[in-house]
Parts: sequence; structure tokens; C-alpha cells
Amino acid sequence: MAKTSDRSKYLISPALLIASFIVVAYGYFALTSFFPKGPPGTQFVGTPTLDNYWRVLGSGSNQAVLFSTLGASFLISLITIAVAVPMAMVIVRAKREWVGNLIMLAIAVTFLSGGVTRAYSWLILLGNRGLINLGLTNSGIVDAPIRFLYNWSGVGISITHYLLPFAVFTLIGAVRNLNPSVEEAARSLGASRTTTFWRITMPMLLPGLMVTLVLVYSIALASFLFPMLLGGGKVRMIANQIYDRMFVEYDIPYAAATAVVFLVSAFASIWLISFVAKKIEKAVS
Amino acid sequence: METLKSSTLQLRQLTKKYNNFEAVRDLDLNVPSGSLLTLLGPSGCGKSTVLRMIAGFLNVTSGEILVDGKDISRVEPNFRDIGMVFQNYALFPHMTVESNVAFGLKMRGVAKHEQAERVRDALAMVQMTHLADRYPSQLSGGQQQRVALARAVVIKPKLLLLDEPLGALDRHLREGLQSELRDLQRQLGITSILVTHDQDEALYLSDYIAVMNGGCIEQLDTPIALYDRPQTEFVARFLGVPNIFASTVVASSSSEVTVSLGGQNIIVPTDTGKTVGSSCKISVRPSHIEVARSEDPRQGVTAVIKSAHELGERIVYHCEVADLKIEANAPRISSSERFAVGQSVKLVLDPAHTVLLRD
Ligand SMILES: Nc1ncnc2c1ncn2[C@@H]1O[C@H](COP(=O)(O)OP(=O)(O)OP(=O)(O)O)[C@@H](O)[C@H]1O
Ligand SMILES: [Mg+2]
Repeated sequence: MAKTSDRSKYLISPALLIASFIVVAYGYFALTSFFPKGPPGTQFVGTPTLDNYWRVLGSGSNQAVLFSTLGASFLISLITIAVAVPMAMVIVRAKREWVGNLIMLAIAVTFLSGGVTRAYSWLILLGNRGLINLGLTNSGIVDAPIRFLYNWSGVGISITHYLLPFAVFTLIGAVRNLNPSVEEAARSLGASRTTTFWRITMPMLLPGLMVTLVLVYSIALASFLFPMLLGGGKVRMIANQIYDRMFVEYDIPYAAATAVVFLVSAFASIWLISFVAKKIEKAVS
Repeated sequence: METLKSSTLQLRQLTKKYNNFEAVRDLDLNVPSGSLLTLLGPSGCGKSTVLRMIAGFLNVTSGEILVDGKDISRVEPNFRDIGMVFQNYALFPHMTVESNVAFGLKMRGVAKHEQAERVRDALAMVQMTHLADRYPSQLSGGQQQRVALARAVVIKPKLLLLDEPLGALDRHLREGLQSELRDLQRQLGITSILVTHDQDEALYLSDYIAVMNGGCIEQLDTPIALYDRPQTEFVARFLGVPNIFASTVVASSSSEVTVSLGGQNIIVPTDTGKTVGSSCKISVRPSHIEVARSEDPRQGVTAVIKSAHELGERIVYHCEVADLKIEANAPRISSSERFAVGQSVKLVLDPAHTVLLRD
């Protein structure tokens, strides 16, 4: 026992080293948030103050960005999972193997193509003269093109697409671990396919779903590229705000305060989700 | 629980192909109402495939599954009224023991108070009443399988299917559960099919045993008939008969054939007869061979003892004549005579249990 913990000390030391660098850097960044902005070329000057936090928390537009980031991320995560569950099921259980392989391939390709490539692809697809709108107007389904870009719908779609591989890959493991006999038992006891899915399969998947939710939610919260490119300045998430304050306004302390507030609320919301998830798991079982 | 009105099951030319591989081929089978039939056979012979087709988890390629004369082969599993018990228990992990057992009744829309009553009875039947509030993960393997059994029978199914239900349990527990399972099945009178590759279990539990080989039934018989008189070499070997002899027919009538064994003639009963001069195979269990003194007047094979071991209930003799190796067992406790290694003896084959194998 003592021996293994000895050895594990050495094994985790590289991780600890890296973690401590990050903590130091982040701590320094957080420290700046307690000082006024300095003249160009410096980061901060003067005596400690909470002014930056009042600016972040006090303004209605700042609050709006914070809450829309949290809310939209959560909603997008739910949609992602709703799409990912059937995909994972098909990949694991398709009778014809090539069906599963094809979906895997499609996901792997999106996963490996970079963020900018993907954002650009969505611009082509979702624009007013994009492929989707051309199809819809030409076939007469809609009269005027639907506006996807520069609002939440385009940003939501592209973030969902970005999150999908993370969700599917995580859920594949969960679906693989399902024992098919349990579902068969339900069927032979008189449950239809639908009933079996909702009363047996989903509750058994629940722990996996919750892990996936927390994972994709955390990734969604940090979205930066998609709101920037497909939101065109109209849709802003926290990361965009922090970026602007750092590199457009050069107000590092203000950016730092925003980042700290964001980090705290992100942790709080993730904790809340896990807490509620545990309650739901308990209630279902 | 009162006994059920039992159903009959008939399989007609049942066939299952996976791509081009025939896992089950033209299988015909009758299971009389209220009886327990065991599918016995080596791994991969198609036992589970048959069971899963009956349950409706696998589509049949061709053939019919008749329950009380009605073909159910295209009916969805949830409308088949079949209770199934799996090797890995397959309890619903997120439900208590009680909810597990109640699930089938709930699906059938049974009234709440009747549900409670029937769940209570079913749990009492498998002695699990005291653990009704536990979750499956808090139960031992044996306990889980009892719950699974209660869950399957509480819906009063037409058929009970058991796929190696005791396969995951240790030997001691398995023996205990075997007798419980047997009592329960007899008491309820549910027509049942059991899959196992443990022949002792099959012999103990079954009314009938079907030995399968390569997707076909090799022999269907009562346990005793199967044990005493295996009809084919495959069945004899599978049931562990060590004495399978290649031989030639010397004389034949409609009721018996004479074959040559180690240069000596032996009479074996048959109901078909066999061409004189043709080769054939003979099977006989060691305990159906009596080891006698060489001067014994009865007909038999004279051989030399190569080894003798006293093992618990039996004395195991390994004998040899010409190229022929013969194993014979004598009851250790009741037989007073002991034969020594190197001694010449007469091996008397019990004609009622010496079988001319079908080829
Ligand atoms: N989905 C499948 N695709 C292709 N072949 C299969 C499939 N399922 C089973 N088989 C084959 O069909 C044959 C019968 O399988 P089955 O599971 O019925 O055997 P079994 O008698 O139950 O064996 P065991 O005692 O090991 O459980 C085997 O040779 C197996 O390889
Ligand atoms: Mg099997």
C-alpha cells in the first residue's frame, strides 16, 4: 500500500508541475483584477480596488452576456445530447456494420477538421444565399430566406456540431456497457420498444448522460470562435467579451475580473448540474 | 400460486441463418404441456439461437414456432407471453427487487392491489420476501437469479425459457438452486425449455433432453434413456461414455446382431439388424460392464487388467485385449472381489445397455 502511493507520487509529479505553473499564471492574472488599469505598456498600477468587479457585475449588458452564455450553453448541451444518443446507439448496435462505421467516419472527419474550417463551412451553408436557404427557397418551402447568421440559431447550430463528437464518443462507451439482455427481459415482460427505451435503456444510460452533459457544457461555455465568426458581433459570449477587453480595449484588469466572475459562475453552474443530476439518478433508481 | 393451464410448444422445420451460416437447421421439436425440456450440447451448437427465436429476440429464417398450435414466429416479443431467465440475471439495475418483479404486471395493466399480492407470492416462492427493498447490486448472484425467476413466472407465462440460468453460480449454490428450480417448475407446471451444457444438471432437471449438434437435434429422449442408451457416437462421446468400439458385424437377425470385439463375439440387441460384414460402432458405459473371473461361463470378452483404482463409490478397471482398451467399473462397497493388475478376467457386457450406434 505504502509502496504504491510512493510510486504514484513520482507518476503524478509532471502533472503537478504543469498544474502549478498554470495556477501561478492564472493567479497572477486574477490578481490584476484587483487593481486599476495602468498606462499603455503596463498591466496595472495603484492600490487594490474592487472597481473592476463592480463594472462586471453592475452593468446590465455584462449580466446579460454572462447569463446568456450559461443558458445558451446549457440548452445547446441538451440538444447535443439529444442528437448524440441515437447516433451512439446506431454506431454500437447497427446490424449492418458499415452504417455505424460511416457515422463514425463522418464524426471523425468533423472532429479532425479545424474550427475555422468548420465555421467557414457553416457560413457557406447557413448564409442568406447559403446552400440551405437556396434549397429551401427554390423548393418553395419558405418564401424568404431564413436568417441563420448573426443570431443565436447559427451560433447554436455550429456549437452543437462542434460538441457532437465529444458527446458521441463519450456515449459510445456508455451504450457499449449496456447489457442487451436487460432490455430483452423488459421486452419479454410485455414492454414495447418505446417503453423499453424510456423505462429501461435511458435510466441505465443516465450516469453516462450526466457525465456527457457536464463535459459538453464545460466545452460550450468556453466557445469563442463560433460566436465570433457566425455571430458577427451581434451574438457575444463571455470569451468574446474577455478577448475584446484584453486585445481591443487593452484593459487587462477589467478582462481579468470578467474571467474570474465567469470562472466562478461556470464552476457554480457545473456543480449545480452535477448536484441535480445526482438527485435525478437517485430519484430514478 | 395456483398451477397454470399449461401450453404446448412445437417447432416445425425451424431454421436460422446468419448470413450464409446455418446456426439452426430444420429443427423439429415437441414439448408436451407442463414438461421441462433441456437443450444440451457443446458450445456453438445453436442452443441459445433456438431459445432466442422462441422468445422473439431473433427473427426466424424459416419454419414455425407453434404455441398451443398457433404460430408466433412473427409476433413481437412483448406479445408472446414468455418468461425468460438469462445467465447474467438481467435484472433492472435501477429498480428494487419488488419493482423488478412488478414490472411485467405493470406492463399488463394489472390492478395495483393485485400486483402487490402477486409480487408478494412470487417473492415468497423464491424466498426473497425479506430482500424486497434491495437493489440488484446489493444481492448475491444466487439471490439475483431467484428474483429473475420470480420476475419471469409472476406474469404466468405460457412458456418459461432458461438460458444457462445457473451457469454463473458456483457449484454448491448451483446444486441448491437446481432443486428449487425443479420444484418450482413442477409446482407451477409451466412448460419450460432449459439450455445448459452441464449434463448432470440436464439429467437432474429434465423431463426430456434434446442433444444438439451443429444446429440439429441428435437425440431426444428421457434422461435415463439418454444416459443408458445414447444412439449416436456424438451423443455417447458428449455424455462421456469412454467405451466406444469400432467393430464388424458377424451375424445379424431382426432383433440382435453379433459383433466381433477383441476377437470374441458379442451379441448386441437392435431393432433393425445390420448387413453382415459391415463395420459398426458399439457403446457401453463402464458401470454396465461386469468384471468376472476368466472361468465365468457367461458370454463376454476375455481381457487383461492394466490398472485398478478404488475411487470413492467405484473401482475403475482399465483392461486390454488385442488393441482394444476397455474401461469397466465395479461398485466398491458392495463387491467383495478385487482383481489385480495383470490378471486375466472376463468382461460381461450388459446386453440391455450395450448400444449399436446409429451412423
Ligand atoms: N450474430 C451472429 N452472427 C453470426 N453468427 C452467429 C451469431 N450469433 C451466433 N452465431 C453462431 O451461431 C452458432 C450458434 O450460436 P449459439 O449462441 O446459439 O450457440 P450456443 O449453443 O448457445 O453456444 P454456447 O453454449 O456457447 O452458449 C455459433 O456457431 C455462433 O458462432
Ligand atoms: Mg448460448
